[in-house]
Amino acid sequence: MDPDIARVLVESAVKIALFFFILLTVVAYMTLVERRVSAWIQDRQGPNRVGPLGLLQPLADGIKFLFKEEVTPPHVYRPVYLLAPMLIFVPALVTFSVIPIGPALELFGQRVRLQIADVDNGVLVILAFASMGVYGIALAGWSSSNKYSLMGALRSSAQLISYELAMGLSIVGVLMAAGSLRLNDIVQHQIEHGWNLIWQLPGFLIFLTAAFAETNRLPFDLPEAETELVAGYHTEYSGMRFSMFYMAEYANMVTASALAVTLYCGGYHVPGLHLLRLPEPAAALVQVLAFGLKVGFFLFLYVWVRWTLPRFRYDQLMNLGWKVLLPVAVLHILWVSFLVLMNWT
Amino acid sequence: MTIHLLLGLVLILFVFAAVRALAPSRALLAGTVLGIGALALLAVNYQALLSPEFWAGLIGFVAILSALMVVIHPNPMVSILFLIVNLFCIALFYLILRAEFLAVLQIIIYAGAIMVLFVFVVMLLNLKAEEGLRLGGGPQRWGALLLAVVFVLLMFHALHDRSDQPYVEPGAFESGFGSARALGGLLFSRYLVAFEAASLLLIAGMVGAVVVAKRKVG
Repeated sequence: MDPDIARVLVESAVKIALFFFILLTVVAYMTLVERRVSAWIQDRQGPNRVGPLGLLQPLADGIKFLFKEEVTPPHVYRPVYLLAPMLIFVPALVTFSVIPIGPALELFGQRVRLQIADVDNGVLVILAFASMGVYGIALAGWSSSNKYSLMGALRSSAQLISYELAMGLSIVGVLMAAGSLRLNDIVQHQIEHGWNLIWQLPGFLIFLTAAFAETNRLPFDLPEAETELVAGYHTEYSGMRFSMFYMAEYANMVTASALAVTLYCGGYHVPGLHLLRLPEPAAALVQVLAFGLKVGFFLFLYVWVRWTLPRFRYDQLMNLGWKVLLPVAVLHILWVSFLVLMNWT
Repeated sequence: MTIHLLLGLVLILFVFAAVRALAPSRALLAGTVLGIGALALLAVNYQALLSPEFWAGLIGFVAILSALMVVIHPNPMVSILFLIVNLFCIALFYLILRAEFLAVLQIIIYAGAIMVLFVFVVMLLNLKAEEGLRLGGGPQRWGALLLAVVFVLLMFHALHDRSDQPYVEPGAFESGFGSARALGGLLFSRYLVAFEAASLLLIAGMVGAVVVAKRKVG
């Protein structure tokens, strides 16, 4: 085999394994962070028994889920019922592959990008696979043959379609400023011209709101509103299949946070780092850590908002999506066009 | 070499379709046997695995198979799932033809947006699986078989003539071909009139849908 092809294959395989491991670890520990932070907000203790500070709790949860009995109710449509948890989990993992978590650096005598795939249409790839996530939810609800599941799936599909539009339009501003669909170019543009957060604050706020809705998190978690719908689309799932839905929710949160950081908060950029004149590997390490820190902030924001705001009503949700976010997003595009025309970005 | 492999795979598919139509209860057995046959074919032609022609053929194989399943599966929701697989295959074809931007748009618009509406409709109407769905009796069945044979012969003829030409001519595309920039440039210069006319058509369709829906309510 061609040595070039072999090298690319090995490099990709190592990166994929590494990203997979990091993402799953973050997902596992987000469940612990969520429970500890919610306890802190509500002045409780939270899970602190398994290991020091409860740090082994995710492991215990994982083992418990693996050994739980998986009940398949007799009234479900089996092929689709088994497929749905995979359909929701895979897109959540795939979207992370185009996000750059650090700058390119020299490793073992060659240039290595800290990103699985440097795609020309990176932003569109993310939108494409994010829109695949709705099938998992819709099919889970439909195949369960349960009215609560179906209601949850219907709500969720309507919500995801509505907020996808506002999200797409808010991203258009970023693309116009950077003049590229490639995530690396967008980060580079922000390094040279300042973070998009400064000039495109309305777009950022719309993106953040839409991201909360897209990940089905409070205040937009109507698809699984437990006071009305038992558990919504995953009512009929148990054991490891149930935990797939749970992990997909957290994986989606991580990806949405990473995307928010990449598009609006300069990605792995640390202002003023070049003044320190660090050697390249050290600078790269600092930038990767900075990226992790920024993503961590957004993840904390998710938890913070969840335990602070109450749930929206369905008509409020639709009004916000179609009558507020969408028009504001269009106005925001006008504003960015003005900025680009005046050469201010 | 590759073209014979592709023809073999297409032939296997049509044998399977014929077995499925004429003797539905043996379909699983026939599928297993033909699957082993396909694997054996691949094992003999393992060099072909590195050529773009082979991958184009394999994707085409999956595309045809999924399209077939859309038609013959009794459950509408499963049909929709196979249609999504089919649309993904078309996106992969665009990728092989170096039209990256188009490939992603294919996924966003067709596999993402439009098919979600299909899923929505099936969920809302609560369509049940059609129990007695099978091919019509006697004459229709033989007619379908005849047409299938004619189609295979036609395909054989079409592919046979083209067997010497590579699927993708190296260097046939200028740099930047298929990028968002190139496509946008074309849409806003050479094809401007068609582009604007299409957008007018879409608006007319949207307004029409709203008018029809309003009349029903009030």
